[in-house]
Amino acid sequence: MKPVAHALLRAALALVPTLVISNAATFYVTVAGLGGEPDYEQRFASQAQEIDKLLHASSGDAKVTTLYGPQATKANVQNALAQVARDAKPNDAFVLMLIGHGSFDGYDYKINLPGPDLSGVELGASLDRIACTRQLVVNMTSASGGSRASLEKASRVVITATKSGNEKNATVFARFWVEALRDPAADIDKNEVVSALEAFIYAETKTAQFYETQKRLATEHPILEDTGQGDGERKPSPENGEGLKAAQFALLRIGATQVAANTPEKKALLEKRDSLEEQIDKLKYEKAAMPADEYKKQLQNLLIELAKTQAELDK
Amino acid sequence: MSANRTAGLLTALLGGLMALPLAAQTPALQTLDECRGLRHHGKLAEAQTCFGRLTASSNPYLRAEGLWGIERYQEANDQFRDLIKQNPKNADYRVRWGHLFMERFNDQEANGLFEEAIKIDKENGQAYLGIAEIESEGFSKHAVEAAQKAADLDPKLFEAHEQLAYLALEDNDEDTAAKQADQALAISGEALDAMAIHAAIDFLHDKNDSPWPDRILKVNPAYGEAYSTAGHFYVINRRYEEGIRAYRKALELNPRLWEARMQLGLNLMRLGEDTEARQQLEECYNAKYQSSETVNSLRLLDKYKDFNTYKTPTTILRLHKKEADLLRPYFESEMERAIATYEKKYQMKLTGPVQVEVYPDHEDFAVRTMGMPGLGALGVTFGAVVAMDSPSGRPPGSFHWASTMWHELSHVYVLQATNNRVPRWFTEGLAVYEETAVAPDWGDRLDPEVIHAIQHKLLLPVAELDRGFIRPSYPSQVIVSYFQGGKICSYIAEKWGYSKLLDMVHSFAKLESTPDVFQKDLGISTTDFDKQFLAWLDAQTKVTTDHFDEWRDKLKIMVANERAKEYDDVIRIGNAIRDWYPDYVEPGSVYELMADAYTAKGDKDSARKQLEKYSEVGGRDPKLVEQLATLEEQAGEPKKAAAALDRLNYIYPEDQELHKRLGDLWLAQNNVPGAIREYQALLALKPLDQATSHYRLAQALRMANRLDQARDEVLLALEAAPGFKPAQKLLLEIAK
Repeated sequence: MKPVAHALLRAALALVPTLVISNAATFYVTVAGLGGEPDYEQRFASQAQEIDKLLHASSGDAKVTTLYGPQATKANVQNALAQVARDAKPNDAFVLMLIGHGSFDGYDYKINLPGPDLSGVELGASLDRIACTRQLVVNMTSASGGSRASLEKASRVVITATKSGNEKNATVFARFWVEALRDPAADIDKNEVVSALEAFIYAETKTAQFYETQKRLATEHPILEDTGQGDGERKPSPENGEGLKAAQFALLRIGATQVAANTPEKKALLEKRDSLEEQIDKLKYEKAAMPADEYKKQLQNLLIELAKTQAELDK
Repeated sequence: MSANRTAGLLTALLGGLMALPLAAQTPALQTLDECRGLRHHGKLAEAQTCFGRLTASSNPYLRAEGLWGIERYQEANDQFRDLIKQNPKNADYRVRWGHLFMERFNDQEANGLFEEAIKIDKENGQAYLGIAEIESEGFSKHAVEAAQKAADLDPKLFEAHEQLAYLALEDNDEDTAAKQADQALAISGEALDAMAIHAAIDFLHDKNDSPWPDRILKVNPAYGEAYSTAGHFYVINRRYEEGIRAYRKALELNPRLWEARMQLGLNLMRLGEDTEARQQLEECYNAKYQSSETVNSLRLLDKYKDFNTYKTPTTILRLHKKEADLLRPYFESEMERAIATYEKKYQMKLTGPVQVEVYPDHEDFAVRTMGMPGLGALGVTFGAVVAMDSPSGRPPGSFHWASTMWHELSHVYVLQATNNRVPRWFTEGLAVYEETAVAPDWGDRLDPEVIHAIQHKLLLPVAELDRGFIRPSYPSQVIVSYFQGGKICSYIAEKWGYSKLLDMVHSFAKLESTPDVFQKDLGISTTDFDKQFLAWLDAQTKVTTDHFDEWRDKLKIMVANERAKEYDDVIRIGNAIRDWYPDYVEPGSVYELMADAYTAKGDKDSARKQLEKYSEVGGRDPKLVEQLATLEEQAGEPKKAAAALDRLNYIYPEDQELHKRLGDLWLAQNNVPGAIREYQALLALKPLDQATSHYRLAQALRMANRLDQARDEVLLALEAAPGFKPAQKLLLEIAK
């Protein structure tokens, strides 16, 4: 784990004091493509199944479609996306997760599926029909970097397991993405929601550590792009302009996140909490320009006040 | 070796000059002979002038030699290339060109040219000698064969006998070395390197009144090479300070001996004298002596800015900045524990602090040790300086860093106790013995190569065991020799008592030979000792050596059964064969297969017992040890779980999950200092979940009543995640 990742997360989250947790629905489509070999077939399917299980456990009313094995055909994938296009509203969120082998011929990307493959251009066209103004595509296949150009859009966060279409070896990113959905440690800011940025940082870090520990040359370099243009970044940060939308994108709830206040007293406490959180974020930005003791004193006071407020809220 | 070697080739090269007009040829030959003669007699300036004159010769070979003589290497190389084109069947030109390549750090090209020369002329002794010189640099047994071949082919080739003497002395075979040197001198009374061998033998025996330096200097008052030779033998006998003094003396006689200056730099570096080491190596570099060792070592010195150094009165620890926070507590405490233990065992205190340097990049460690990458070692000791791999530099589970460090620290004591006068087999054997004396699961296991050596009676007599370390005759002989040395010390400790090992240390310090020391301290000849020792070792290893082939065949069947999910068969065979070879804890061991089979059958208790045995015997795969810890926890044995995980701190401490789990276990067992260390280690690894990590540390610090530090940690947790409720709660409690 690189310290810069924390700095960027804090920075990104500071720009968005409250993560968007609304009552709008989130639609999830997960596809595990053709394995080619029994080992891969089993691995891809089990990863898709685990994502499915985690999503259902996270929210009973999550709208989840999971396709793997013989079901993961091009037609079925396109039908699932068409169904989301019919059901989802603009304020809903949409998440597409792709697992498997991909290929890139220098022009277009394809995910390997039973029967005809699905190209990046075809995928992009299907996604464009979905009205959701918040979309996340996590393409975890080999050569997935080749799909980025077809998928980029201003309203869409695009994560790929590889930097380009030329990184063609089977990836391990999917394994750590699934782990991010399962491991509470991925919730870096402890707000009981794993954002797309948090999951990316988790999976990217673990992927890098995997190659480092195994003393192997890394054959995949995950990338996040959420501005709708450019090549994306491995280390999204305010400096490079990537990561802001991903930080706002609630991928998975992992606790009983408080989303509404039902009494005037609690409403007042919530407002106080939000105000304290904003003050803390502001203070953190001023840290470099302050004497260390003064910063610590102010931070402690604010944090104690915040802790007391939260304790009142939890009563 | 030296330039006087070239003299013998001159006659042979006559053939190549026969095409010249006689009038032009003879004076030119005399001039080359004269140049070499001047150099041989130490008239270096005159020799340079003489070689300079040769560069104007109309004969391309003489031009090449002239250019080489005045150190215009590139032009000399071009001349040789042209010469070979014009004389493709001339073996001698290739030999000379090969020597030029050797001098300019390109052994590969040199070897190719020597091989080509042999293809042209099968009886070219000089070519075999060239190969012997190259092979000797890698301490290969082929060096001796090639040198002997050269001597056999050319009875007048005194340099071949000099080379054989050199190789014999490297093997600590002084009698052969002296005889070969005498043979060289019988052929040429001015064989300077033969005299240097005699001088080196005297120096190694602390004979400061050796007559040989005077004899050498009478022939060549600038022959610093003699002291370089002595430096080499001091160094390979771990007498680094004396080696450095010898190289300094060599440079006093001839400041342009760049090889000697480089060796001076490398050995200064080995003893931690980095400032002067850099100065000497830069001088070499600036003089275009840019050997791989010089360049690599200078690059490594540049990297030291990325290291932190921590000092106590008894220790100096150099760690890479990126892992210093993680490793420092573990390394410092083990250094202190080892020093306390060895002070008692060896009944002595070191005269100064011991320095341990830890390299996360194995190739940096290799350069630190040899000046070159590609070293197959884990740690090396130079006097009171230990250089070693970091656990991060090796695949997880393949390296027990603490065992390696204790091994090397044993050398520090033994080297100091003997003033570096100890045979390699003994100091290595004692260090191996000390590893397993710390804990039975430390040190190395009986591996298949050693079993093969025992089965095929490949162990060396103890009086010759050094040869197994220095010039192995089969690929695994170094490993086998370490094992044998360790077992010899175990046997001595068991039969005569540990105190006899200490007596031997003191006897070796007096430069007594291995046979003399055995006779004096153990009252036994080495021949009789070998018989008794082998009988003892055979009894110890009999079950394994008798059943090894069958064990291997059945293990293959177990693997197949495991793949076929025939778990009952895996368990049945495993129970039958596991204890035939209990030391086998490599991937796919019987323990692992049986634990997997029991787990698949839902028998966690039996799986746990297999992994307990695996760990006890020395199994080091972090995944299996972590699995054992989980099974121990599930069996209600949290102390055993913690002990299992704590073992991993000495094997692969780079694992966040390890520190998190061990911290939690120790905190629950009220081992608060242990928990604090583990949580600090976790934070040193920069976990993604900073908030939880700081929070855990805050909890432990609070239990230790270190409230200010606990508050700081909880603030760090909340700074990362202001809404983290457990940390909020702890902050309020501390703030009260």
